Amino acid sequence: MRYHSQRIAYAYFLVAMVLFAVQVTIGLIMGWIYVSPNFLSELLPFNIARMLHTNSLVVWLLLGFFGATYYILPEEAEREIHSPLLAWIQLGIFVLGTAGVVVTYLFDLFHGHWLLGKEGREFLEQPKWVKLGIAVAAVIFMYNVSMTALKGRRTAVTNVLLMGLWGLVLLWLFAFYNPANLVLDKQYWWWVIHLWVEGVWELIMAAILAFLMLKLTGVDREVVEKWLYVIVATALFSGILGTGHHYYWIGLPAYWQWIGSIFSSFEIVPFFAMMSFAFVMVWKGRRDHPNKAALVWSLGCTVLAFFGAGVWGFLHTLHGVNYYTHGTQITAAHGHLAFYGAYVCLVLALVTYCMPLMKNRDPYNQVLNMASFWLMSSGMVFMTVTLTFAGTVQTHLQRVEGGFFMDVQDGLALFYWMRFGSGVAVVLGALLFIYAVLFPRREVVKAGPVQAHKDGHLEAAE
Amino acid sequence: MRLQDLPGEPIMWVLIASELLVFAAGITAMAGVRLTDPAGFAAAQAQLHGWMAALNTAILVTSGFFAARAERACRRGDRRGARVGLALAALGGAGFLAVKAVEYAGDLRAGLGMESHPFFTFYYLLTGFHAAHVLFGIGVLALVAIRLRTEEVQAGAAFWHMVDLVWVLLLPPVYLLG
Amino acid sequence: MDLTRIWLILLGLTGATTALAFVPGPVAAAALLAVALFKARAILGGFLHLERGSGWWAAFVVPLTIWLVLIWGLHVI
Repeated sequence: MRYHSQRIAYAYFLVAMVLFAVQVTIGLIMGWIYVSPNFLSELLPFNIARMLHTNSLVVWLLLGFFGATYYILPEEAEREIHSPLLAWIQLGIFVLGTAGVVVTYLFDLFHGHWLLGKEGREFLEQPKWVKLGIAVAAVIFMYNVSMTALKGRRTAVTNVLLMGLWGLVLLWLFAFYNPANLVLDKQYWWWVIHLWVEGVWELIMAAILAFLMLKLTGVDREVVEKWLYVIVATALFSGILGTGHHYYWIGLPAYWQWIGSIFSSFEIVPFFAMMSFAFVMVWKGRRDHPNKAALVWSLGCTVLAFFGAGVWGFLHTLHGVNYYTHGTQITAAHGHLAFYGAYVCLVLALVTYCMPLMKNRDPYNQVLNMASFWLMSSGMVFMTVTLTFAGTVQTHLQRVEGGFFMDVQDGLALFYWMRFGSGVAVVLGALLFIYAVLFPRREVVKAGPVQAHKDGHLEAAE
Repeated sequence: MRLQDLPGEPIMWVLIASELLVFAAGITAMAGVRLTDPAGFAAAQAQLHGWMAALNTAILVTSGFFAARAERACRRGDRRGARVGLALAALGGAGFLAVKAVEYAGDLRAGLGMESHPFFTFYYLLTGFHAAHVLFGIGVLALVAIRLRTEEVQAGAAFWHMVDLVWVLLLPPVYLLG
Repeated sequence: MDLTRIWLILLGLTGATTALAFVPGPVAAAALLAVALFKARAILGGFLHLERGSGWWAAFVVPLTIWLVLIWGLHVI
């Protein structure tokens, strides 16, 4: 850590980790509701739990991106953050808004109120005052980081990161546009939901990965930048019109079926490019960085994003397929592995990279952290496979054979039990991760003669 | 076979490859859907004016020729020649769009809309998406004509040739293979 | 290669396309697509400066050829 203001990232990561724990815990509760549907049905109805699960995920990922930016930007721009005070105010607004959301969802104190009540649009349920708070915090953030970037060294990593963040903030404005016509409502709704995760967030992902590869492998900046531009080009090329794959059955013209099918099929390309990028960089690397755990998370991120977002996305993106699978457990399978691979692993990779530096842990091994990667990831992969089977059976029984929804759900009980089991693994993995990055002071496994020999031949780490 | 071995801006080649893949996917989908109703597709296609498409091909390759000349002139340092070439290329693009507009107007007057038949959905999507690229390409040509940097002119011309390339591949399946 | 020659080739091929458009049957369809391939090769090699015989040339032309064969196959079945 070369700049004092990078420390801001620590606070952001801390809040993110708290929300991460909340998110997976609620996920586990929902997994239990699937096998025992009356569990907490009065206290925490499923729809409320789901709102908390998805909202807390998005908020902690956003905090992760903000924290990542506060860490990366000073090193890239070679100067301190423009105003640390604004960064703290921004975090304060986020914490207040998050608390407000949780209270509003759980107790619904201001039902129907235009400013204080929850809004009811899926994923955008936040009351208007929270939405406004997010917008204000986002503008503060963009001002702060843009000023930092403008005054400092300009790099491709900074440019792509800022482009992604500006896109994120501007697209958020569509959360305020809520036409009375339900079709138009959904059309613009996707401009936040889709253009975030399959558009501008991919730019943020590429930039953060590029930063990690620069640090962990020591590959030349010039090589990394070339990859970065290719990834950005293919992500935007496929992702923007790929929004069409959400327009199949919501009342928009039928030609969206072809636009959506064709463009979204190419959304796998940037994820394949990111995976190739990470592996090629490691292969070409000149540096034996001690933070092997961050490397595991980075590589795991690109592989699981390729499968979760790329392959599992393609699985049901063609409208001929989606006609049958729409809204089944196939969607849940894709959603879980895509978010986990692309964005959860990404933020955890950066947290893993930063924490030993912020906490002055050197030397370190982070064996616990790596164990948490394997526990959490195998849990998530198992969950994805289970839900894919559940979705396939569900599609057949319900959409092909015409069975009733609840009868089919009864038939899927075994899958839901297995999913609960995999959820336990994910939660344990998440808790282990949080423990591993925050608490052990020193955790070193002494190197043997082979590693010692290698260490003598390789470039020292930054 | 590294990215930098490609002539000109590598990102332009990423774009060219992406565009080719998208149009190829669209044309393949059309050819696949055609199998469900060959007679209907043939009847729908017979309503198009193939001669306008042929005229547009001639216009577009000529315009591409001027773009190529502009690029060469720019490399020679002939700024006037480069600007004239770019202007003529853009003029060709405008001519292409004018013919296209006449063609669309005729189709729409005949009551042939996007939803008339699956063929017309593909027809309007593919040619419309291509026409949007022509329009965008004219803007690109105008933009690179301002500063006349060699690599920018080359990139602009490459975009223009990509539009040309897509059109010659679009022509037979959309207009001619009944 | 001389740009004017490429342009004349492309115009000639466009004429060939126009003439072939009036001929029915699978052979004429194949000829139409072959002409399209020649046009594409002329643009790639002549205007886009892709070096003939290089790895990248093959990377573009081989998939293009296979795809045109596929389109022909979908047309004739």
